[in-house]
Amino acid sequence: MTAWLERRGMTYGDAALWVLGTAVALAWASPFLWMVSTSFKYPADVLTETIEWIPRRVTLDNYIKVFEYPIIRWTFNSLVQALTSTTICVFFGAMAGFALAQFRFPGRAAIFLIFLASLMMPVEVSVIPMLLAFIKVGWASTYQALILPTIANVFSIYIFRQFFLTFPRELIEAARLDGAGPFRLFVLIALPLARAPMIAAAVIIFTLNWNNFLWPLLVVFDESMKTLPVGIAAFAPVVGTHTQLEGYSVAMAGVTVLSVPSLLLFFFLQKYFIQGISQGGLSQ
Amino acid sequence: MATSAQTLGSGGTAEALPGERPPLEWVGYLFVALFAVPFLIFNVAPVFFGAYVAFTEWSIIGTPEWIGLGNYDDAISDEWVWVAFRNVLFYALIIVPGVTVLGLLFALFVNKSYPLSGLARTLFFAPHVVSATVIGLVWVYLLDTQYGLLNAVIGALGAPSIPWLTSSDYALVGVSMASIWWDLGLAFVLILAALQDIPRDLIEASTVDGAGPVNRLRFIVLPHLRPVLSMVITLQMISTLRIFSQVYVMTNGGPAGSSSSPIHYIYTVAIVRNLYGYASALAILLFLVILVATIVQRFAVREMAS
Repeated sequence: MTAWLERRGMTYGDAALWVLGTAVALAWASPFLWMVSTSFKYPADVLTETIEWIPRRVTLDNYIKVFEYPIIRWTFNSLVQALTSTTICVFFGAMAGFALAQFRFPGRAAIFLIFLASLMMPVEVSVIPMLLAFIKVGWASTYQALILPTIANVFSIYIFRQFFLTFPRELIEAARLDGAGPFRLFVLIALPLARAPMIAAAVIIFTLNWNNFLWPLLVVFDESMKTLPVGIAAFAPVVGTHTQLEGYSVAMAGVTVLSVPSLLLFFFLQKYFIQGISQGGLSQ
Repeated sequence: MATSAQTLGSGGTAEALPGERPPLEWVGYLFVALFAVPFLIFNVAPVFFGAYVAFTEWSIIGTPEWIGLGNYDDAISDEWVWVAFRNVLFYALIIVPGVTVLGLLFALFVNKSYPLSGLARTLFFAPHVVSATVIGLVWVYLLDTQYGLLNAVIGALGAPSIPWLTSSDYALVGVSMASIWWDLGLAFVLILAALQDIPRDLIEASTVDGAGPVNRLRFIVLPHLRPVLSMVITLQMISTLRIFSQVYVMTNGGPAGSSSSPIHYIYTVAIVRNLYGYASALAILLFLVILVATIVQRFAVREMAS
């Protein structure tokens, strides 16, 4: 024990702290374990007074029940919204970020400042009039209503401008001498070298879109156009009746389906998530 | 690497020919416009439209009717407006310190390169990536009076069960606990990034000088973290003043409005009662509260620093 600690340069105090901290970290994530475990339990086993972290008997009934709701349609809607919006936002953000960092034109510093200042703009003020406008145009419960208001996320411009500020100017000059116009320059030289910011922007913006709640809740009045988070929210006892009827195990199967894509994306691309968030956050 | 590329970039051509400026690249406007047009239509215009709608009486059917400050008059005499704003003050008083203090402690722990600290980092951040629906439903279950995990733990300690979400005394606290679990990841990652920026030699030098862990925290680490902590508090305060999704999923504002929030009330006014003018005026009020709170908080941090 002492040798093990010495090899790591740890004292007994360090060891105690380490045990405590690791226990807190495990406890912090334990609600996810509880969620997944409950989703495989029989309803009768959910309502026990003792805590069972691993289900005694395993069943897929809860998942079968969840899929009796239009989960596949909601997932499809969420994917259409999140993929379209993220692609547009990342591509246009990369173009604008590249131009703001590398092209010389009057007002480019001011334009960037306006984008940054808009981060302070009140979402709560824009959401109600936007809803009114979409209803008046007859676009409530449509894909364009889900997608359009989410495509201009300033985070994308910020992350690409930061990256392209340090982009080697010689590469650009060389391509220019070879006769490349600005668009070829962007698509053939800049984009292929911008993999890291592109993944960081894409995973973060995709997650924001996938989890978006208030706007799709407001603008969709039609069951078949709901997104997955809004659809599953009807399992909440206070706003729906599903849980009263089916119990917590079915609700937990629903939220497991909803959370697994974000959690997997995060586990595999953690580095990009954390870099992107600390860069983006530190900008504000 | 970043700095060397930057010096190379700016020194390479721009200053190579003194007195001769490279030509302007007007195509830059086109590159920016593709982003700027949707930005102006969907991010900027609605704010101005909303400021106008707030002066009108407007339900979905019919035309807007200009009523001046009428909506704001109504807001002042609307009891539920006061309830929602008082609640959000309590939310901020619980969630902002909770997220900041726990985020700091967790970041200090993970910053030491203990075995498994990479795993701890993943676990602390994980709740931040899931949707409000997940947070809300998992916590409704954890906080269930009869079958919830939390009451099982409390019961094991011999204390009576607490009706977390079904009593007007506790609902706001229950929603706050779920919010801290959800929001902590962002504060944690930002503080951790700042901790990793502290030069190693500074820490080592202080250890050689015989500074204990407490003094090191007080005189070296915390002063270095002041900017990031100030930012974390501002960001968290703004997002807490806008609290909505977890309230909607967990309690829908109840019981008896005890856990409602301004955006939750705005939602009810717009969607359930169809009063779009009134909802917009409430949104403007919330914006003013956020603005004042941000300015006061920034000012307070500056005062404390000097």
